[in-house]
Amino acid sequence: MRSEQEVNAAIERYSDTIKRLCMIHLKNYTDTEDIFQTVFLKYVLSSVCFENEEHEKAWFIRVTINACRDLIKSFFRSRTVSIDEILNLPYKLPPDNREILEAILSLPSKYKDVVYLHYYEGYTAVEIGKILRKNVNTVYTLLTRSRQMLKEKLGDIDYE
Amino acid sequence: MSNIKETFNKIHAEEELKIKTKAFLAQKTDNYKKRRITFKYQTAAIMACLFLFVLSAGGLKLYFTPTSVISIDINPSVELGVNVFDRIISVKGYNDDGNELADLVNVKYTNYKYGLEELINSQTVTQCLSNNGSLSITVAGSNQKQCNDILTNAKDCTSGHQNAYCHMADYSQIENAHKCGLSVGKYMAYLELEALDSSITPEDISGMTMREIRDIINSYSSQNTYYQSDYCNESHQGHKNGHHDNR
Repeated sequence: MRSEQEVNAAIERYSDTIKRLCMIHLKNYTDTEDIFQTVFLKYVLSSVCFENEEHEKAWFIRVTINACRDLIKSFFRSRTVSIDEILNLPYKLPPDNREILEAILSLPSKYKDVVYLHYYEGYTAVEIGKILRKNVNTVYTLLTRSRQMLKEKLGDIDYE
Repeated sequence: MSNIKETFNKIHAEEELKIKTKAFLAQKTDNYKKRRITFKYQTAAIMACLFLFVLSAGGLKLYFTPTSVISIDINPSVELGVNVFDRIISVKGYNDDGNELADLVNVKYTNYKYGLEELINSQTVTQCLSNNGSLSITVAGSNQKQCNDILTNAKDCTSGHQNAYCHMADYSQIENAHKCGLSVGKYMAYLELEALDSSITPEDISGMTMREIRDIINSYSSQNTYYQSDYCNESHQGHKNGHHDNR
């Protein structure tokens, strides 16, 4: 079991990443809370030795995405809200950011992860393939299609 | 127009969410003391498992160690191994008829009282008895109290049969009997006969019925000199309660 200091440091380091992943997958705050608890409890109890910070971050991303998928698949999950409600959450986004976020959230689930990981976290297709355990060519395809879909919704934007 | 990076940069985990998560983890891990508790529990669990293992290994050894043997000889020669819990843990035939009878009756792991009744009332034994066979039940073992109980029970079981004899043998004779390839009961008869005729061998005895052995002994002497008081005391009452002394 990891120490309290170690866990608190990880919460400070990775909370934003987890929050963003929850944001694109989940539809309410309570579910986000559940994911935070699940992911960090796994971290506390995990005996994985991370080679470096990048390895640790990739672990958090993979565990969070899997936890989100499990929660979505959960039979008992009935708490759903609209995208509008998500965008009304505490952070006040300017209209431009809101439009982009809305477009990303409207993408099918399989595209959201690659968009976030590539355009925000800066991972390459090969790295995304390793994190999501997907074929690199599949990742390339997902990236191309998601770019097309975003272009349809947002027009030409600066992705980087 | 804003880009994707800038949009996500504006999303942060709320402090409240972090605080709640920290509180949840502290509660779940008993303030991060779980390692020590887990270690204690692990040690206790390992010790408990070891204890159970030793206990069960000891229990199994105890269960499968015979403390007494009951030798049932007429023509079939069958020996029952009885454990400290009065359960039959082995049924061994000492001749072809004995093997057949051992296969026929299903008395393993049952109480010896039930086993004795089953064997004595089996068709093979009752037929032999009705053909003037001589039934010998010999009890030997390391647990004297248990042997006495078994002997008493065997006498009760045979009280309705004529030509049935129950007696005790010395524990040390079990090994000697098995070395000769004989059941304890037949070995005791062999010793008795050997005292009268030194030319007799265990091989000669193994092929004979108890009636044949008794007849030879009787031809040498009308008085048994080998068997101890159990049989002798019983022999006088034999006629009254079904036991006969015409060995």
